[in-house]
Amino acid sequence: MSWFSFHFPDFALSFLGIIFEGIPFLLLGSLVSGAVEAFVPGEVLTRWLPKNYAAAIVVSALLGLVIPMCECGSVVVIRRLIRKGLPLSCAITYMMAAPIVSPVVALSTYAAFRGQNPLEITLLRLVLGFLIAVGVGMAVRDIPAERLLQPAMLDSLPGRRRTGLSMAAVPDDAALDLADGGVRGKLFRAVQSATSDFLDVTFFFVVGAAIASTFNTAVNQSLLVPIATNPTLSVMAMMVLAFALAICSSTDAFIAVSFRMFPPAAKLAFLVFGPVFDTKLCFLYGAVFRRWFVMSLGIGLFIVIALICNHLGLILNNT
Amino acid sequence: MTALFNRWLPGVTLLAWSAVLLSFYLTGRIASFLHPAFRGYVLVAGLLMLAMAACFLLLPGVASCCDDERCGHPLGRRKSGRILTFLILILPVATAAMVSPKNFGAATILNRGIVTDASGLISRTNAPRIMPPQPAAQTTTDNPAEPPLPTKDGSQPVAQAAASPAASQNAIDDYLPKAKDGNVEVQVIDLLYAAQDTSMRADFDGKTVETIGQLMPDDANNAGGNRFKLMRMFMYCCAADAKPIAALVEAPQKPNAPEMAWVRVIGKVTFPIEGGRTIPILNAVSVTQTDPPEETMLY
Repeated sequence: MSWFSFHFPDFALSFLGIIFEGIPFLLLGSLVSGAVEAFVPGEVLTRWLPKNYAAAIVVSALLGLVIPMCECGSVVVIRRLIRKGLPLSCAITYMMAAPIVSPVVALSTYAAFRGQNPLEITLLRLVLGFLIAVGVGMAVRDIPAERLLQPAMLDSLPGRRRTGLSMAAVPDDAALDLADGGVRGKLFRAVQSATSDFLDVTFFFVVGAAIASTFNTAVNQSLLVPIATNPTLSVMAMMVLAFALAICSSTDAFIAVSFRMFPPAAKLAFLVFGPVFDTKLCFLYGAVFRRWFVMSLGIGLFIVIALICNHLGLILNNT
Repeated sequence: MTALFNRWLPGVTLLAWSAVLLSFYLTGRIASFLHPAFRGYVLVAGLLMLAMAACFLLLPGVASCCDDERCGHPLGRRKSGRILTFLILILPVATAAMVSPKNFGAATILNRGIVTDASGLISRTNAPRIMPPQPAAQTTTDNPAEPPLPTKDGSQPVAQAAASPAASQNAIDDYLPKAKDGNVEVQVIDLLYAAQDTSMRADFDGKTVETIGQLMPDDANNAGGNRFKLMRMFMYCCAADAKPIAALVEAPQKPNAPEMAWVRVIGKVTFPIEGGRTIPILNAVSVTQTDPPEETMLY
């Protein structure tokens, strides 16, 4: 039997299955993102943060629970929030956590893993996402903003440019205020922002669904047994796949679950690594952060998540 | 040109997606793609997209954020990106919507690998379709002071009926669904689950049952040449994760139907141990080609 046999109608059936299942969640995420953009001023977040560094970073990692945002949306939002004076370390923490520590993602992960220990996978994903984000936030706390941010971003910052809380200052930048025009104007802005997010992210979702469907229908699954049954290889393979597919965190669980041969730890690695570092995020991060930071972030996240998930896989297999 | 990119392209894209989602939901085609638990979301998403499209197409005030240099949408900032987004969002979905069949072809099924025992399936939180009745002893222990309620047709209640072996057999027969001709009507998944459960296995063993599925050859353990697989797709969430499952059928002669044809099989159930596993085998008395069922997937 050949290792690859592509049959377009079968591909279409699998492709539309993933699209129909994931698109309502992607739309929900986009609508929430649009509403936040239009109705939640950036200063509110800054006011909420505790004065203590560690506490502020922990709270930032949990902000996604009240202001859920997909990874594309979170990069968009932190650009605005950094300019509005949110400490850079907190903004980075929120950017890393929001695509995972969010009710929309929890709901979609639970729904996707229906019948396959959904609570366990969902909780592990949220906790791991939270810890990774807090770890990154702590790691960048003492790095000067000049070393992290692109020059164009630095130019728009207020005078003091370091990542710590003491450098937090709300800029007097009227141009960055939310759209005026009352509720009607804000509603329009919410729809506009939600649609832009939706179209942008759905592009990657469609491409991801197409790759996943090709894999699921055309590739002889028995050939994957050596990779899927090796704990370390399976984790790393799913992380590389998450990087390449660049699927939105609100729908990636539906893709992950379709890789039936892979163990839960490998799927978890896919679900934790993909939302914080993938091909489209490389591009998006590059618009805000310097290249060395983006590269270091990617390599660091890959190693840490692979080690944790590999270890978790060994624990799960022994229980 | 600005109106085209800021207003018409997003509006038309949303409208097209809304049309696809709503048409699949309203025509019932969605059944081949999604588990029933997810179908309602498709309707809601279709309606929301329709409303968003109406906003773009009817209200000229909605502009694109992607004219702004600070916009974080990598594809939306360039006109070429917007055209690419439009094409990628419209063409694959529209083409797939036109050509997608109700069920998978043989090549995909073989690529995914056919499961012939329930241990090859991921554990489910929901119960099997057919559930045996509560044991009589447990029922009486739970409520020792209360007599069993009378049945509507005046027959003996199950708790009393199960007191004797014959009555117990009647109670078992009562919970097994019947086809028009009186045979026990089962799905392939019921047989696979029954093979894993001692009490259910006893209930099914030796019974004449009736079931339908797609005919697939059995190349593995078919020395006599009289075996084939009766296959169904078992869906967890969507078509992408559907797994082919099959019960083995032994027929006196090779069925007069092509591979992947839908066939109705009537036969006696046995649960032999092969390769160290208990598997269900149907000893067919009749195999006839039939129309596909309303819903081709099992859930």
